[in-house]
Amino acid sequence: MTQLIADAVSQAWTNFLESVVLYLPRVLATLSIVIAGWLIAALLRVFTRWTLRWLRFDALSERIGLAATLRGADLSPASVLAGSVVFWLVFLGFLLSGIDVLGLTALQGLVAGFGQFVPRLLVALAILAIGFVVANFAWRATLLAAVNARMSSPRLLSNAVRFLILILAVAMALEQIAVAQTVVLTAFAIAFGAVMIGLAIAFGIGGGAIARRFLERQFPERSDSDTDRVSHL
Amino acid sequence: MARATLLTDDLVRRLIAVGQVDVVVGLPTMNNAETIAGALQAVHEGLSQHFARARSVVIAADGGSRDGTPDIIGALPSGARDRHGGLRTRHQIVAAYRGVPGRAGAIRLIFTAADLLQARAVAVFDPDTDPLTPASIGGLLKPAGPDSFDLVAPVRARHPLERLLVTQLIRPLVRAAYGRQLDEPLLTEFACSGRFAAHCLAEDVWDRSPMREGIELWLAATALSGSFKACQTCVETAAAAPSQRPRPGLQEVFTPLVGSLFAALDAHAGAWQRDTAPEPVPVIGVEVPPPADPPAGAPSGLGGSFAQDVRDLRPVLESILAPETFAAVAAIAEAAGAEGPSYPDEPWVATVYDFVAGYHAGAIDRAHIVKALMPLYVGRVASFVTGHAASPADEVARDLETLAQQFERSKPYLIERWYRAS
Repeated sequence: MTQLIADAVSQAWTNFLESVVLYLPRVLATLSIVIAGWLIAALLRVFTRWTLRWLRFDALSERIGLAATLRGADLSPASVLAGSVVFWLVFLGFLLSGIDVLGLTALQGLVAGFGQFVPRLLVALAILAIGFVVANFAWRATLLAAVNARMSSPRLLSNAVRFLILILAVAMALEQIAVAQTVVLTAFAIAFGAVMIGLAIAFGIGGGAIARRFLERQFPERSDSDTDRVSHL
Repeated sequence: MARATLLTDDLVRRLIAVGQVDVVVGLPTMNNAETIAGALQAVHEGLSQHFARARSVVIAADGGSRDGTPDIIGALPSGARDRHGGLRTRHQIVAAYRGVPGRAGAIRLIFTAADLLQARAVAVFDPDTDPLTPASIGGLLKPAGPDSFDLVAPVRARHPLERLLVTQLIRPLVRAAYGRQLDEPLLTEFACSGRFAAHCLAEDVWDRSPMREGIELWLAATALSGSFKACQTCVETAAAAPSQRPRPGLQEVFTPLVGSLFAALDAHAGAWQRDTAPEPVPVIGVEVPPPADPPAGAPSGLGGSFAQDVRDLRPVLESILAPETFAAVAAIAEAAGAEGPSYPDEPWVATVYDFVAGYHAGAIDRAHIVKALMPLYVGRVASFVTGHAASPADEVARDLETLAQQFERSKPYLIERWYRAS
C-alpha cells in the first residue's frame, strides 16, 4: 500500500517535472517575447514622438483644436499620446504572441483576433481624428459666421454643429470596431432622429416669430445693417 | 504663356491690328450700364487733353455684364472718340475676360494686353467708384512711365471719419510695415509703368485667394516692397449722383481686403522686416482740403455687441492673441457699455499685430483668423467714431496720425511676435 502511494507520488512528481521541463522553454520564450516586445514598443514610442515633434504635429494639433481638447481632458500632448498608442498596440501584439506560445487552449486564437482587430481599430481612430478635425473646423466657421452676421446664440449654434459631427464620427468609429453594433446604430438613429424632430417641433411651434425674423434676415430687402451704415471704404 | 491662355485669338488679332501704343487705359466693367458712357467720355477727353500725340487704346475688360454694358460701349458713335481733339487714332476694345468675375481678372487682362502692346504706361479706372474727370485721368497717367514712376496712386480729399477700414487698419498697417505712406492703398484707380505691369503679371497671385479678391492692395504692397518708384497725385473728387447700386456690406469687403493685406505681408516679410528708414511717397499736385462736414454719425449701438462678441469668440481669440493682448481686449469688453467699448490705440495696434503674426504662423485656419478680426474692428470703429462724433476734422486727422505713429512705434513688437509665433 505504502509502495503504491510512493509510486503514485513519484509518478506525479515525474509527470510534473516532465511538464515543467516541457513547459519551461515556452514560458521562457513567452518572457523573452514580452521583454523584446516591450523594448521594441518603447523604442517605437520614442521614435513616434520624435518624428511627430519633428513634423510639428503638436503645432498642427494646436491649430486644429485637438491640443485644447486634450488639455481640457487632462491628457498628454498629441505627440505623446500618439506615441503611447503606438507603444500599447505593439506591446499588446507581442504580449498576445507570447501568450500564444504558451499553447493555452483557452487563449488560443487571441493573436489572430487581435490581428484582425488592429486594422479596424486604426481605421476607427482615423475616423475619430478626421471627425474631430471636421467638427472643430465647422464649429469655428459657424461661430465666426454667426458672430459676424449678428445672429443670436452663436455659441449654442456652433456647439450644436460640433456635437452633431462628433456624435456621427463616434458612431462610425464604434461601428468600425464592431462594439455593440446594433445598440450603437439604434441609439444613434434614435438620438439623431429625436434631436431633429425636437428641433423641428420647437422651431415650428415655438419659433414661428423667430423663423420669420430668421428668414427676413437671410433674404433682406437690401437695407444696411448697423455695421454697414458707417463708411468703411 | 499668359498671353496664350488669357487672350482669345480674336482679341490678339484686334490688339495686333492696334499695334504698339504708348498708353493703355483699362476699365474693368461688370453691369456698369449707368455709368460707363460718362466714364468713357471722360477717358477720351482726358487722353485728348493730356496725351494728344500719344498712341493709346482704351480697353473695357468685361466680367460678363448682363445689363448691356458691352453693347453701350460698342454703340458709341464712331466719331465720338475723335471729336475730343486727339491727334492720333485712339482705339477702343471691349473684351470679356475668362475665369472668376472680379477686378483681378479684368486687371490681368488689361496688363496682359498692355504687355503685348509694349505700352509705356497703363491706367486702370473704376467706372463706378468716383466720377472720372479728364483732369484726374491726366493727373494719374502723366507721372507714370519707364523713366518716371512705376506706380501712381491717387490722393482724394476725404473727411477723416470716412473710409474707416482704410484709416483704422489698412493705411497705418501698410505705412508701418512697408515704411511708405500711401493715402489710397486700395488703388481703386491707379496708373503704372509697363515694367511694373509686366512684373505683376509674372506673380502667382491672380488666381489665388485671398490675393485675387484684394488685388489692388496686393499691387500697392508689391510696389512698396520692391525696387519700384511710387508717387501720389492729387485728384479732384467730382460731385456725383448717389449710385443706385447696393453698397457692399462690411462682411463682403473686410475678409478679402484684410486677407489680401495679411497675405501680402506674409509674402513680403523679407522686404518689410529689413531695418530701413521710412521714406515718404512724393505727392504731386496741390492737396484739396477735406470736406468740413463729417459723414453721418455712427448708428447708435454700433459696438453694443462687442462684449458679447468677445465672450463668444474667447476660444478663437485666445488661440490668436498674445495672453496680455487678450487680457487687454477682455478688459475693454468687460468695461464696454451699451454705447460700445473704449478701444484705445495701443491695444488696437497690438491686436492687429497679433493677428498678422497669427496669420503668418497659421495659428488656426487663415480665413478664420481674418474673420475673427472683424468683430474687434467693429468695436474699434465704434470707439473711434463715438469718441470723435463732435470733433472737428483736423482733430480727427491728428488722432489718425497718432494712431499711425503707434503702428510705427510698435513695429518691433510685430517682428518679435512674427518670429515667436513661427
